[in-house]
This record gives sequence, structure tokens and C-alpha cells, in this order.
Amino acid sequence: MDEHSLTLGANLLLWVFPLVLTILVVAERLLDARARGR
Amino acid sequence: MTSLAPSALITVAAVMVLYLGVLLFIGWRAARRTHGGEDFHLAGRSLGAWAAGISSTASSESGWVTLGAVGMTFTHGVSGLWYAPGCLLGYLVNLYIVAPRLREMSATQGSVTLTDVLTRRWGDPHNVLRTTATAIILVCMMGYVAAQMTAAGKAFSSSLGFEGRGGYLLGVVIGAVVIILVTSLGGFRAVAWTDLFQGLLVAAALIALPLYAVYRLGGFGALVQGLGAIDPHLLSAAGDRTGPVLWGFVIGQLGIGLGYPGMPHVITRYMATRDDRQVQRLQLIAMMWGIVVFYGAGLVGLAGRVMLPELADGEQALMALALRLVHPVLAGLLLAAVISAILSTVSSQLLVAASAVSYDVVEESLGKARDDRRSLILGRWTVALVGLIGIAVALSEVRLVFWFVLFAWSGLGAAFAPLILLALGRRGVNRHGALAAMLTGIGVTVAWKLGRDASTSPQIFARVWWIALLAAAAILAIGHFSRAFARGDVVGVVAATALTELAWLVVQRWGFSSLYELVPAFFAAGLAALVVSALTRE
Repeated sequence: MDEHSLTLGANLLLWVFPLVLTILVVAERLLDARARGR
Repeated sequence: MTSLAPSALITVAAVMVLYLGVLLFIGWRAARRTHGGEDFHLAGRSLGAWAAGISSTASSESGWVTLGAVGMTFTHGVSGLWYAPGCLLGYLVNLYIVAPRLREMSATQGSVTLTDVLTRRWGDPHNVLRTTATAIILVCMMGYVAAQMTAAGKAFSSSLGFEGRGGYLLGVVIGAVVIILVTSLGGFRAVAWTDLFQGLLVAAALIALPLYAVYRLGGFGALVQGLGAIDPHLLSAAGDRTGPVLWGFVIGQLGIGLGYPGMPHVITRYMATRDDRQVQRLQLIAMMWGIVVFYGAGLVGLAGRVMLPELADGEQALMALALRLVHPVLAGLLLAAVISAILSTVSSQLLVAASAVSYDVVEESLGKARDDRRSLILGRWTVALVGLIGIAVALSEVRLVFWFVLFAWSGLGAAFAPLILLALGRRGVNRHGALAAMLTGIGVTVAWKLGRDASTSPQIFARVWWIALLAAAAILAIGHFSRAFARGDVVGVVAATALTELAWLVVQRWGFSSLYELVPAFFAAGLAALVVSALTRE
């Protein structure tokens, strides 16, 4: 049986993009909260 | 659904009844806290981060996310997921650029609706902007409401086991009556609270079901192998598209996000938020909801393609997986999530359509019912009236109305999104430019869509260039005889007509069959606003 895998673009679209976006919005929130705490 | 065993059908129906009971209870609680016009139309600007954040996202997605988005990846594999970055980029613009500025601007202005924001921003001595914006909102929203009621009726009738035409009618009436009651009694607050409940239900369903489905398949590796065995194109971001078709498709899908700043039922949530701190909290909440829901829906479609190869309609994958994989109580909850996605949008759009009539037309344009108590009563009756019209259209299935729905998202997005961004950016735009932008947005949307796909449109619209000229002549005649138009407004109408005709020529000449109409319409509307404002600067 052939072994199948996601293409590079599919990897970027399926999980790299949402992961990076999640990290960015959480980091923005944390940095903002820290700045307000000062 | 009707293939369910009678005992399972009763369980699913019981969950549905419970779900509707929760909606009515929330509506009743909200009604007790709604005492005046601003309460009814904007929840007294008192929403917290969770209600405003989830409500803004849940009301924007409709049944599209639990049906259409699932169907996209079911049919096209991973390449069907391009809608997700498109929508999430729209969320970023809305949440981080529009939300904080719009809340501040509307609080300073004392504006209640999207139309109100625009008219107070640029001034509107003869109600030209207010009339145009209200007409666009009403046409788009009424079609939307009727179509969503139809979808809700179908979902209800199948999940409650009603059969045939009579079952469909009963399904439409049950869903619509509950939503009209909740919205007319509790107004904006009821809509936001029910959206919160329904939005969380949708998110829970779109986290739990795909994870469980992938687990049952044997893990993510097994999902990839299963998709590859069906068709290797399902594992590629391009699918089987190449060249200009691929780029048109990708740009079009990313372009979906351009419409978000122009959706009145979405951005009024930001106006209703209590303070800046709540806006900052809602940004993260809404973004996380979007990521979970869009990718959850995509994963359901991918898993469904492998687990349900016999399924003819990919949009039914969520419901079919729910019925196959889980206990009837959970299946009932998952079906409630599908209906939630629809009803949360119906209630929001119903309220926007009703506010357009009761607030923008009756209170502001005609100057009636300025008293707070009367405003509340007027709002409630208008919701009921608009809702009943929606039911009548949904039951009679007037085909032309459903045809208008095809333009609703892109029409609203192109007419209002560039304007809202320009209004908040304090660029050099005046009221004549704003009028030109709204007319251009709608005109180019219709011209582009019909021009690229004339065969699927009613025959009467086969020659849009001619209809655009007639519409422009009618608008100019009304403006002239009512003495509402200034010279700048005439320039705006002429510019909008010219750009609409240009869009028709371009799409006739070069095709661009895969490019979503919102993309050219959005940029044409922005251009119209800037050019007409420059030409008519006083």
C-alpha cells in the first residue's frame, strides 16, 4: 500500500497557521496584561 | 434522521425541546432587564467580554460553519480549508482594529446602529446616507433571515422526526417563533446571551466531535492515509487546481475576510461592549473561538470523507457523524449545535433589520417615538413584524428572495467594510464619498457575480449594464425631486454607476470566474469613497 503524507502547503494550512496565530494572540494578551500591571 | 430508532428519535427530540426551553428562559431573563430603547437596540452598552466576543463571532458564522465549511473539506480535502485563514484574517482586522475604535467612536457619538455611526461621522442633512444604508441593510438582511429560517426549519423537522412538507412547515414555525419571541422580548441583550450559549455549544461540538472521530479512525496518521487512498489531491493545499484558477480561488477565499468589518450584526457587538478593558478581553476570546470552530469544522469534513464514503452531500457530514458515532443524547446536543449556528445568526439579523426600520427610519428619519419607553415598544413590535415577514417568505419559498441571499455577505461587506475602515481611520472622506462607496459596493458585487456566472441568474438580470443605468437614473430622479441631493451626491451616483459598468465590462471581457466578487467590489468601493471625496471637497 502507498504511504501518503500532507504536502508542505497542506502542513502550513492545516496546523502551522492556526498554531502561530494562537501563539501570537495569546502573547499579545499576556504582554498587554503585563504592561498594564506595571 | 428518520432512519433513527424510535427511542433514539425521542431522546434527540427531548434534547431539542430542552435546548429551545433554554433559549426561551434566556430571552425571559433578558426581557426583565430591558427597559428602554438603547437597552433594546444596544443592551445599554453593558456587554461583558464573553457575551460580546462570542456573540460577535457566533452571529457572523450562521449554518455555514456547521454545514458549508464542513462540506468544503469533505469535498476538496485540505485545500477546502482556505476559508479558515480568510475568515481569521477578517477576525484580526475586526477585533484589533475595528472593535476598540468603533466602541469609542459610537460611545462619543451616542450612535446606536451602523447607519447611525456613518451618518453622525459625516453628517447627513437630507437623510441620503441613512436612507441608502437602511435600504441596503434591509434588502440583504431580509433575504438572509428568510433563508436562515428555511435552513432552521429543515434542521428542526429532520431532528424532531417531522416528515414531508407539513413537517418542514412545522419546523420553520417552531424555530422562527422561538427566535422572534426571544428577540422581541429581550432585544439586543437576549440576542447576545443566547448567542453566547449557542456559540459555546457550537465550539464544544466542533472540538469534541472531530477529536473523537479522528480517535475512532485510529489517529491523525490513519486520517491522512485514508484521505490519500481516496485521492492524493485531498492532502494538498492546492487540491487539483493549477495556474490562474488556483490563485483566483486562494485570493477569493482569503477575500472572505474583507467582509467582516461591514457586517452590521457583528460590529454592533463592539458598540455594545461596556469599556475598553472588555474589548481587550473579547479579542482573545473571539479569536480562540474562531480558530477552534473553523479548524474543528474542517477536521469534521476530513474525517467524514474517510468514515462516510457513501455520503452524497458533504454538508451533512457533521450530522451524519454525530448519529453514527455517539449516544443519542450527545447526538441531540450536536444537532442542537448545528441549529444553534443558524439561530444565533437569525436572531442577530432579525434585530438589525428591525433596528433599521424602527430606529433608523421611524425614530431618526421620521422623528417619531423619541421617548425611551415608546422606542422599546416600537422595537419589539418591529421585530415581531419583520420576523413574521421572514416566516411568510420562508414558507412561500419566494425564489427571488433566496437568490438575493447569494449577494448578502459580499454586498454588505463591500458596501460597508471599506467605509467603516475609512471612518475609523479618519481619512479624507466626506458624505458624498460615503454614498458613492455604498452604491459602488453593491453595484460591483452584483455586476461581478452576474457577469461571471450569467447562466445561473434569472433572465431579467442577463444584461446588468442596462439595469445599472436604469437604477442610477431612478436614484438621481428620486434625489432630484425630493430635493435631497447636493451636487456631490450626483457625482457619487455617477461614479458608482461608472465603476459598476467597468466591473461588468472587465468580467465579461476577461472572465475571472474563480475570483470572489467581494474582492473587486471592496476595493472599488474604497476607491469610489476616496476619489469622490477628493472631487467634491468643499
